[in-house]
Amino acid sequence: MEDSNSLKHYPLNVRLKSLYIIWYRELLIYWRNRIKVFTSIFLPLLLVLFFGTGFKALFPTTLLPYDFSQFFYPGILSLSTVVMAMSSTLSIVWDREFGFLREILVSPVPRSNIVLGKIFGATTVATIQGALLLLAAPYLSLELGFIDFIKIIIFLFIFNAGVSALGVFFASGIKKTESFSVFLQIVIAPMSFLSGAFFPLNNLPLWVKNLAHLNPFCYGADGLRWLILSPSLEKEKILLFTLHSLKSSILFLIIFDFIIFTLAIYRFKR
Amino acid sequence: MTVDNEILENGSQQITEVIQVENLKKNYNNFKALKGISFSVKKGEIFGFLGPNGAGKTTTIHILSTLTLPTSGLVFVNGFNVLTRPDMVRRSIGLVFQETTLDTHLTAEENLFLHAYLYGVPKKEFNQRKREVLKLCELWDKRKWRVENFSGGMKRRLEISRALIHWPQILFLDEPTVGLDPQTRTKIWDYIFTARKHKETTIFLTTQYLNEAENCDRIAIIDNGEIVALDTPENLKKMIGEDIISFRTLDNELAEKEFKEKFPEYKLKKIGKELKIEVENGDEFLPILVKAISPKIISIELRRPSLDDVFLEVTGRKIRDDETLKAVEEEEKFNLADLFSLFPKNNKKNKT
Repeated sequence: MEDSNSLKHYPLNVRLKSLYIIWYRELLIYWRNRIKVFTSIFLPLLLVLFFGTGFKALFPTTLLPYDFSQFFYPGILSLSTVVMAMSSTLSIVWDREFGFLREILVSPVPRSNIVLGKIFGATTVATIQGALLLLAAPYLSLELGFIDFIKIIIFLFIFNAGVSALGVFFASGIKKTESFSVFLQIVIAPMSFLSGAFFPLNNLPLWVKNLAHLNPFCYGADGLRWLILSPSLEKEKILLFTLHSLKSSILFLIIFDFIIFTLAIYRFKR
Repeated sequence: MTVDNEILENGSQQITEVIQVENLKKNYNNFKALKGISFSVKKGEIFGFLGPNGAGKTTTIHILSTLTLPTSGLVFVNGFNVLTRPDMVRRSIGLVFQETTLDTHLTAEENLFLHAYLYGVPKKEFNQRKREVLKLCELWDKRKWRVENFSGGMKRRLEISRALIHWPQILFLDEPTVGLDPQTRTKIWDYIFTARKHKETTIFLTTQYLNEAENCDRIAIIDNGEIVALDTPENLKKMIGEDIISFRTLDNELAEKEFKEKFPEYKLKKIGKELKIEVENGDEFLPILVKAISPKIISIELRRPSLDDVFLEVTGRKIRDDETLKAVEEEEKFNLADLFSLFPKNNKKNKT
């Protein structure tokens, strides 16, 4: 559709402007949809509150050396940002069906910028979502300093950039909105269950762990656990329910980001 | 065609032929959507593409707007080759598609803002142009409305104003009035004429309404991927022949006799109670005829051939006859392999 060297035709300020406008549209739509903003915050909190207290009653502290809701909270936080990033990028399919994508495609904006604008828009929305959910931390007796907060935001950004790019990658292959549910069941559901957000993966069979080592969601959940819990919990306890260290999580996610960005841009251009 | 891209880039104002198409072909697998069409459009012209569904109208617009790649042939828009400089082509054109491409979550104003930003319209100018185009399409009062609350006609009007906001050299309209009520249709034509008058915008449109095609400066009739006729509406109508006069008198036999005596060069046909003659300049012949015939004339009708007659003549059928041409291709609902593969087999991003 677009020859590979055509990028040189676009001056830098035009490219930045178009990147900005696609990013801006994403935020505008997020902001317009107040109900979605509300439910996307309400539901995870509900999960942590009810499941957390329910399981806490099921496993007494003698069996489980940590508070279940403290284990549960970072995982749910990471997954709810994933949902946000995914639903933002998968709106490409929606745009395609309702025609707006074409309006962008015929505009003098390079294709790669459309992808990047979309990815960064979705990442920003997901990070805002994560930040809002982080405000609940004190109620679970988790102490977070300002520096911790900033670190978590940066981590969320790195994590969700990859997730959003994954969303674009898949959205480029989906032609109809009806295919959504199939995609969610076949791709997103298994990845979420194997992310360790709902239960620790440490004592599971080896094949499950091997799959988890390839799952970016798992690195996201683990990284967030280290960042959110380490100010309040001892390292030994966190080790009980994480598969990867913070460093390896960050490293994996950065590499994953690079690969999936390239693939997403490549696939969208076709 | 001797078009030097480099020269034209500097002086795009001087080109008189803003669209040049030479032997353009497009195949979808085995289906030949365009079988080598050639035409050119002059600056400031309203050029109409007339044809039934599936004739290749939308495919042509998609190729001219760089959405689809041609299989072969040369295409220059505003002096730029669509293959080598799609960016410059996109910057010089405005598009209104058959289906709406507005962002329904946003307000009318925001839709314009996004568009202006995508096309690099300076912010200061944007406000002025916004007022101008919204007033032109009579949507200024509704600029803060969300597009999802708009009616079909309002959406179409907003799309036209959006396509005009970056002052395109060429405005493409793919069936701009389909599905709209007659009043809105007339208004949309008013906007089109105003836009051309103010900015010398060239307008390229497709339509299947014959009466609308008469508004164009020139028409190409396309059928089965081929241009079967191309001329001004007047010339096209002249091409198929002469004006038709049919009249009734109190004494048809006497009239017939008189007519044959006075005008032996014309043929006279008797159809029922009516007498029918074909003449070259019906409006001039009519008064002569009335004076020449002595029996009292009860009724007389002068009919000019319509574009419908032209279409009938060049394609052998009426434009509404063939709904069968609408080859609707059933798309696969979901293909798992397609979801994961980097190289999807059938890249159907561009439909006919």
